[in-house]
Amino acid sequence: MKFLAIAKREIYSFFLSPMAYAVLTVWLLTMGFVYFMFAQYFANNLSFGGSDTPLSMFFGQTILSFVPQLVFVPLMTMRLVAGENQSGTIESLMTAPVTSTDIILGKFIAALVFWLTLWIPTLMYVWITSRYGDIDYGTVLSSYIGVLGIGTFYMAWGLLASTIARRQIVAAVITFLFLGGFFLAGLGEYVFEDYRELFSYLSVWSHMADFSKGVVDSRYLAFYASMTALALFLAVRVLDTRKEIA
Amino acid sequence: MIEVEDLSKRYGSHQAVRDLHFSVAKGEIVGFLGPNGAGKSTTLRMLTGYLNPTAGRIRIGGHDVSEDPNAVRKLIGYMPEGAPLYREMRVREHLAYRAAIKGVPRKSIASAIDRALERANIEDVRDRIIAQLSKGYRQRVALADALVADPPLLILDEPSSGLDPNQIREVRQLIKSFAGEKTVLLSTHILPEVEATCERVVIINSGRKVGSGRPKELRRGDQQVVKVVARGSREDLIDTLESHGEVTVSSKDDVHTAKVTSPSSEDALEAIASAVISRGLKLRELRVAVTSLEEVFAKLTTIEEVADETDAQEKGEEE
Repeated sequence: MKFLAIAKREIYSFFLSPMAYAVLTVWLLTMGFVYFMFAQYFANNLSFGGSDTPLSMFFGQTILSFVPQLVFVPLMTMRLVAGENQSGTIESLMTAPVTSTDIILGKFIAALVFWLTLWIPTLMYVWITSRYGDIDYGTVLSSYIGVLGIGTFYMAWGLLASTIARRQIVAAVITFLFLGGFFLAGLGEYVFEDYRELFSYLSVWSHMADFSKGVVDSRYLAFYASMTALALFLAVRVLDTRKEIA
Repeated sequence: MIEVEDLSKRYGSHQAVRDLHFSVAKGEIVGFLGPNGAGKSTTLRMLTGYLNPTAGRIRIGGHDVSEDPNAVRKLIGYMPEGAPLYREMRVREHLAYRAAIKGVPRKSIASAIDRALERANIEDVRDRIIAQLSKGYRQRVALADALVADPPLLILDEPSSGLDPNQIREVRQLIKSFAGEKTVLLSTHILPEVEATCERVVIINSGRKVGSGRPKELRRGDQQVVKVVARGSREDLIDTLESHGEVTVSSKDDVHTAKVTSPSSEDALEAIASAVISRGLKLRELRVAVTSLEEVFAKLTTIEEVADETDAQEKGEEE
């Protein structure tokens, strides 16, 4: 259970840093603005179409909910391992009787908690919307399932980047490249007509479009689970490899 | 407690440690002495499993470090160079975390922290944020970290670097207090540190072991190596020199170069000279040779200049 102690310390230190509050504030301002725009739009266009609602638009029918994620995930994951490397504590951590798996698992759990702290305040938008109209709580639930799935996927790759890089800023850049790369690959859906199906399977944007309409496609969840497992597996290997060169 | 055989570490083309062998018995306090860049930290990192050796074998407490690293780490309290700590945390929080990942049972953590704080003599800062502590306190927090799980073996990398003379004295007293109770391996580049705290010393230079023994025996001047070059019978030369100390000879035709390790005394050269000549050998050269051990000593810090170092470091950090 040593990974829990590692996760606990990581979370504790994260919330001691001013960075956490800066990130959270800017994130909520950004997402609040995105939500406000959709609410405003629907308020002014009563006849606007079909099954879409301000909440489903917010959760991912547009690129507006993804761009902030691509920026904020690197900021939240960069210090996970690279920070210990910069402060030198990686040496006392790796010479304690813990395994590389304990370290990566503990850091990953902490990263998921960071992700939840980004999203829990957005429940407020659900509450606000519910005061002015009817809400399908099923679609809200499926949207949050999607958000959690994408969170595990993104945080795992951010953790991998933080394990590879020696410095936090480099970790942030690598994470941005990873996530940006995946996101761009997803856009291939609109470019390569012949492989549309394949690319939409990779596209978190398409996934969220479904989740936000109440469709929980288990293929998407399998995609997140396998991408997460791959990144965590690689992160453990990278940590083990340090012993040859550190 | 520690057995090291033919240990080597190579970084690319740089050989940091080569064919090192030494052992530390249970309950011993051993100094690992060498100038900066000799491979001390690299060796300690291999002992603690932070680095894998390129070649060689390390056994600690009967476990092979590469085969069973976690069994070994449970036996070790390691203080890395520079005393890395989670600076945003309070001293007791840091120690509680370290105790937890070192496997101290939850119920015993509070008492383990109290004991470590007491031994490192830093009870007065238990609730302070580490970043606000002076270098000397941080060093002792790192020492408390090494002690918190009450391990039988302490591996301390430069335990007194950056401390002022009073703190150095305290740390040395603390280390000496472990005698008989814990096994201690500490690295240092300061000669008086070894003499003050260690029962035995292993000296390394450029990644190689160049000597070991009791600190006093290693003192420059207790022994000397005399180089003798003479022409004549090899057997006669060896026979003559053997009464003056341990002899090694290399020969080219009938010219022989001998090195005699003898107790140092002013008369030794004269005695060797007259002995060689009276045996009928032609003496060509006779002088006290510089040994590799002496080269090392020349590079060691032989005076306590750390107090100035502390001031300089703290000024640097404040800026």
